[in-house]
Amino acid sequence: MAEEIVMPRLGWTMEEGTLIEWLKEDGAAVETGELLFTVEGDKALNEIETFVGGILHLPSAAPQPGDTVPVGTVLGYLLEVGEQPPAYEATKTNAAADTQTPAQAASTMSDTEPSHAVSATEPTISPRARRVAAELGVDWQQLQGSGRSGRIVERDVRAAQGLSSAAPKATPIAQRLAAEAGLDLAELAAQKQGGRIEREDVEAAVEAARAMPTTSTSQPITRVRQLIAAHLSTSAHTTAAVTLTTEADATELVVLRQKFKDSLGQNAPTYNDLLIKLSASALGKHPALNASWHNEEIQLHATVHMGVATDTDDGLLVPVIRDAQSKNLQQIAAETKTLFDQARQRQLKPEDMQDGTFTLTNLGMYGIDAFTPIINLPQCAILGIGRIIEKPAVHDGQIVVRSMMALSLTFDHRVLDGGPAARFLDQVRSFVEQPYQWLSE
Amino acid sequence: MREITFMEATLEALSEEMARDETIFVVGQGSGARGGNFNTTTGLYDIYGPERLRDVPITERGFVGMCTGAAMTGTRPVVDFMFLDFILDAMGEMVNQMAKMQYMSSGRLKMPILLRGCIGVGGAAATHHSGNYYSMFAHLPGFKVVVPTTAYDAKGLFKTALRSDDPVLFLEHKSLINGRGEVPEEEYLIPFGQASICRRGKDLTVVALTTMVGKTLTVCEKLAQEGISVEVIDPRTVAPLDVDTILESVQRTGRLLVIDETFAICGIGAEIAAQVVDRGFDDLDAPVRRLNGLHVPTPYSAPLEASVVPQLPDIEQAIRDLLAE
Repeated sequence: MAEEIVMPRLGWTMEEGTLIEWLKEDGAAVETGELLFTVEGDKALNEIETFVGGILHLPSAAPQPGDTVPVGTVLGYLLEVGEQPPAYEATKTNAAADTQTPAQAASTMSDTEPSHAVSATEPTISPRARRVAAELGVDWQQLQGSGRSGRIVERDVRAAQGLSSAAPKATPIAQRLAAEAGLDLAELAAQKQGGRIEREDVEAAVEAARAMPTTSTSQPITRVRQLIAAHLSTSAHTTAAVTLTTEADATELVVLRQKFKDSLGQNAPTYNDLLIKLSASALGKHPALNASWHNEEIQLHATVHMGVATDTDDGLLVPVIRDAQSKNLQQIAAETKTLFDQARQRQLKPEDMQDGTFTLTNLGMYGIDAFTPIINLPQCAILGIGRIIEKPAVHDGQIVVRSMMALSLTFDHRVLDGGPAARFLDQVRSFVEQPYQWLSE
Repeated sequence: MREITFMEATLEALSEEMARDETIFVVGQGSGARGGNFNTTTGLYDIYGPERLRDVPITERGFVGMCTGAAMTGTRPVVDFMFLDFILDAMGEMVNQMAKMQYMSSGRLKMPILLRGCIGVGGAAATHHSGNYYSMFAHLPGFKVVVPTTAYDAKGLFKTALRSDDPVLFLEHKSLINGRGEVPEEEYLIPFGQASICRRGKDLTVVALTTMVGKTLTVCEKLAQEGISVEVIDPRTVAPLDVDTILESVQRTGRLLVIDETFAICGIGAEIAAQVVDRGFDDLDAPVRRLNGLHVPTPYSAPLEASVVPQLPDIEQAIRDLLAE
């Protein structure tokens, strides 16, 4: 019987999703566990794995890549060999079995876990066996249950564990030496193919380990890392990114900052605060840069919500200063301090990072000059700030020591052209060089 | 150690407590000079006299009401119903007055009253003399409900009942009262709400009540020869109910079967199952099962009577079935 492939629900709030692409061709033979298609849900791109195998059949009347359809919409079928495809119907024939999707998220970016809904092919398991499997790290999905009606019970889990963890045989001396050297006896046993591990084996392994160059280690991917990866690779693959760089004479900005420090001490605005304020002012004069590519439309935003890329132990976070264009320096300074503190203490709320219309990213403190930032979708541009460094420069016809700063603007050429982007960057340069232009705003 | 019967054990407990506490008196049909229809008061009339061992007419509501009043004045009535089925005629006094009086008086009045009688299916006693009723009383706040199985437990729990300030239902299965068991000479009490683990095992937990305890232990002996290891728990009191001991056992075995002679519907097995599923869900390796008597009036005919309560093969099959889950 034809298995329906439907738009999966990838989070509690997801009502519809966009079919991005099929990872298998129409008519291809697909095996259980293979990735079938990609879907964009509420938050990110997901690759969807199939839980059943078959011949992929994509009816012409079914949704096409790029189409946004309600959760549960039939996207295609998996047929048995020689089976005639059914007449296409968008709604699932067994609507009540909403959760029995043959396909489920392989790696969901949503807030919720992939649901543990029982599908026709998923085994049942007793609560105790489920608990014991979790404790022992046994993947019960792969087990055959010995309970009535095939239910996996505790003994099945323990038996599976017993197979994988039969203690390797080793002499007491070998055990002690291996423990001291931090060697895994099971690994040695595998090399010796079941033979008893003796002192010589351990010593040889210790020698081998010493001679071996340091190998790479693997790290699990955190959720934040996954989100960053999905978000940035989408940006890198979908935008037409162009980076413009220029150098600004920041001498006056340095003087201004020093004066603030002299008078306000701890509460003086940082360079970031000054750059937030001047960039917001520049965006006011160049609204084409304060725009988003959204649902095949370009949205021009009336207010500037300035995202500031922030390096934390968890990874890159982008807290947002809302209505930056209408806030004064003190307000911005107070707000950034709070947001950065929260970001570093992992206390940022999702709403603190939403609705940004433009992003600043400052690598100046790491000694970087120009670079090529990646656009923070759905925004259309991002401004990279380089270090401020004293170097010889021509000023009033003389070669003198000036504080110079590199600026890097990446913009999405789909949304705007090089001219407006260049004019905006030049405005920023001008504002850096002559702070009085925006300071009174 | 000496062996005496269940009924001798309760008689001994009653006599000892009457000697210790002169406010205790017994009321019942045939409880005086006759010594009780089930020998519950044999010999006590000669020791404690007609004042403390009183015969009453067949007027359950009347004498239960009077004993409720007597308990409020500070005495300790023991009401002997013979067959417990006749307690139903006194339900109004019991549920509305006896069980609620301490609450209504903000604890100023105590209700130290013991209600005893024979329960259970057996001996072709027919449907008016075969009821169990303990789930019904356990359902109501205010009552303690005791269902002993052995002579030892009967004596220890009877003494606790006679020192309790709450109304206690002491329910004696008529198939158990002549059973003999070891009972020490020296005094001991068994607290309410403390289950007894009658047999240790690791594959499955059986909670059994009254006659089902002995039958289950017999089946377990047989199954042990096949290497099947069953743990058997007797709750001994159903109000309060010792769920902790049951949970601790299920934590080890992962499987629970409740075997109860009386009806399954709204019974104590349902209560045990609900609490274990609630608090021990992740310990369960199989569904919680019940094995009960049929939900019918008890027939008079002995073969029919035997067919409405779980017998040894039924118990064995239920254990095997649950192990196969």
